[in-house]
Amino acid sequence: MPFPLHLSPEETLRELTELNRKVATGIDNLSRLREEDLQVGVTPKEEVYREDNVVLYRYTPMVERPFPIPVLIVYALVNRPYMVDLQEDRSVVRNLLKLGLDVYLIDWGYPSRGDCWLTLDDYINGYLNNCVDNVRARHGLDRINLLGICQGGTFSLCYAALYQEKVKNLITMVAPVDFQVKDGLLNLWVGCSPGSPGMDVDLLVNALGNIPGEFMNFGFLLMKPFELGLRKYLDLIEILDDDKKLLNFLRMEKWIFDSPDQAGEAYRQFMKDFYQGNKLIKGEVKIGGKPVDLREVRVPVLNVYAEQDHLVPPASSVALVRYVGSADYTVKAFPVGHIGMYVSGKVQQDLPPTIANWLKERP
Amino acid sequence: MRLSEQAEDLAKALTEAQKKMWESWFDLMRAAPVSLPLSPPVADQWREMALQGLKTWTAESEQVVKDVAERLATTQDVVMRFLDLSVSAWKAMAPQIESGEDWQTWAKNYADHLRQQFLQFPQGATQAAQDTDELQRLYLEEWQKLVQPWVESLRRVPWQVGQAATGDGSAGIKLTNLYWDAYERTFGRLLESPSLGHTRELTQDLLKGFDAWVDSRRAILEYQSGLAEAWAEALEQFVRKLVSLAEKGEKIQSLVQLLNLWIDVIEGVFTTRFRSEEYIEKQSRLVNTVMAYRLIEREIVEAFLKTSHLPSRSEVDEAYRRIYELRREVKELKKSLRDLKAELSDQSKKGSHAAQSNGPPPDSHSKDHPHD
Repeated sequence: MPFPLHLSPEETLRELTELNRKVATGIDNLSRLREEDLQVGVTPKEEVYREDNVVLYRYTPMVERPFPIPVLIVYALVNRPYMVDLQEDRSVVRNLLKLGLDVYLIDWGYPSRGDCWLTLDDYINGYLNNCVDNVRARHGLDRINLLGICQGGTFSLCYAALYQEKVKNLITMVAPVDFQVKDGLLNLWVGCSPGSPGMDVDLLVNALGNIPGEFMNFGFLLMKPFELGLRKYLDLIEILDDDKKLLNFLRMEKWIFDSPDQAGEAYRQFMKDFYQGNKLIKGEVKIGGKPVDLREVRVPVLNVYAEQDHLVPPASSVALVRYVGSADYTVKAFPVGHIGMYVSGKVQQDLPPTIANWLKERP
Repeated sequence: MRLSEQAEDLAKALTEAQKKMWESWFDLMRAAPVSLPLSPPVADQWREMALQGLKTWTAESEQVVKDVAERLATTQDVVMRFLDLSVSAWKAMAPQIESGEDWQTWAKNYADHLRQQFLQFPQGATQAAQDTDELQRLYLEEWQKLVQPWVESLRRVPWQVGQAATGDGSAGIKLTNLYWDAYERTFGRLLESPSLGHTRELTQDLLKGFDAWVDSRRAILEYQSGLAEAWAEALEQFVRKLVSLAEKGEKIQSLVQLLNLWIDVIEGVFTTRFRSEEYIEKQSRLVNTVMAYRLIEREIVEAFLKTSHLPSRSEVDEAYRRIYELRREVKELKKSLRDLKAELSDQSKKGSHAAQSNGPPPDSHSKDHPHD
């Protein structure tokens, strides 16, 4: 059998020299970049409400008469919400504004050690509810639209079950619902299968207080260790001399490693009740003593998920249909991964109109 | 060209490329805003200097730029190391192939050899983890920095008894505990030094921590051993992949192709392993034992802080908890107040509407007043 390696020394030397040249030039290029080159979240917005670390923003509408029912974006506690407005040409928010929506966004902030006692009750019955009330009051409306993303989608489901009188329509995007799906590596590691080994969440929170962002990030990167730790940077070498692509990469990289710590008590409940106990679909979750029953979510629901999502497996999101009480339920898949939902060019073309049209059909 | 010559030339090319790589780093560093001392181009020294140069070079940049530049340098280094390994393997293999030996068998043997090397470290380390005396010494060493002031204070104790307690580490903690029991009952009390008054407590904490520390070290080693197995398996799979390519008559003609093949294989092996119950068990045990130790470690640190009249983590957390509860209470009270005000305002509006619709308020002295 012939030996399959046919590397010529001349070609290898040329390849390596070129690789090294690109790295050296690239690092030189990198060092010339300044903070203003890497701005994220640039769509104009104003702060309309603040409570502790939490800030509610309203984006400046881009049409003269926006759709009368505003949409409030509820992002996850993990990572920063500017992912929905990463840069001008990769911004779910900007595209929604262009389509005539009035968009609000909750920024949960960076919990400090002093916030380690914050619970899901504080986040959902407290901050989220107060933000919803604020938007309702500003527009003189009883009910507004919610767009919950990832963990924020799970929060929005809980909220809609508890306060359906305040929610007009609900959109969940890459939101985990069934936490015991076997294809999720994260779910397996956390110990979602009954009887399987898993992390002792109590021990973790008792020892660390808040869960460091680095700890969370390490877990996410470990799910694709060589893709995210090596191949990504090999691919980067190829685009180092392309300013536009380099800046795109850096903004994304900035977001990936900008991981807030997780408030200990909220993390404890989310991991134990949602992940390990899978209580959301069992109707056993309680937020501040109030039971969450997904059958109480009777408002129209649009459930959007990513077909190649390795963080929130599709099966976890689409399970919602089996538990939600809404008679008006729509599900829509996009052929990308979790992150692709925010930054893929194709999704940027399709997702915002899907959301805007669906909302406009339900005034 | 014969395979062995080709491998030899490739090795030369790699050396040349490495030289060029360090030269390009040299150029970069020469142009850096701050000049750096440069020594002969010995790879490890260069690597270290390159990283230092990188830090200087990107000192004014945003954090993400610093991080990405560092990751790029690491990637470049990883690529070189991978190629080093590949070329060494090729060099070793070429004469065997030329002499007619079946290269697949040789490659498998080579992978096995590397596998043994990978697995040697964790095995040795796991055996070391069984040696309690050695572990106790390491454990004490970890605490040495923190314990140092305490040790110093012991040395100053009359008639040099401190020396005995702090001499040989293998004497073990139990011995010092027994010693301190006796010491505290006698001269220790007379000295009335608050820091000494807590030493027995600390020793007990240290003892308690020892088991947790050993558990965590073992879990770390088991975890590392699991990863080493994954590396070994990846090598085997890589060889298998090369065989399957050869069977199909496919060729690898560029470094990028070779690297991508390697990443595909290793990623597949690791992610499959990460799903196995065995791996999950090791990872969970690692996290759980390290956290259990951290809790005890905190107790030990807090005991030290107490002797120094400094607030501890637990005390600060407790204060935070009270602030948190008060903040919640204030929010609830504010909300009640707001609701109450709104209710009163509604009532007052309703009252005034009712009054307006009924005309002017009746004279309270009128005989027509409804409540008279």
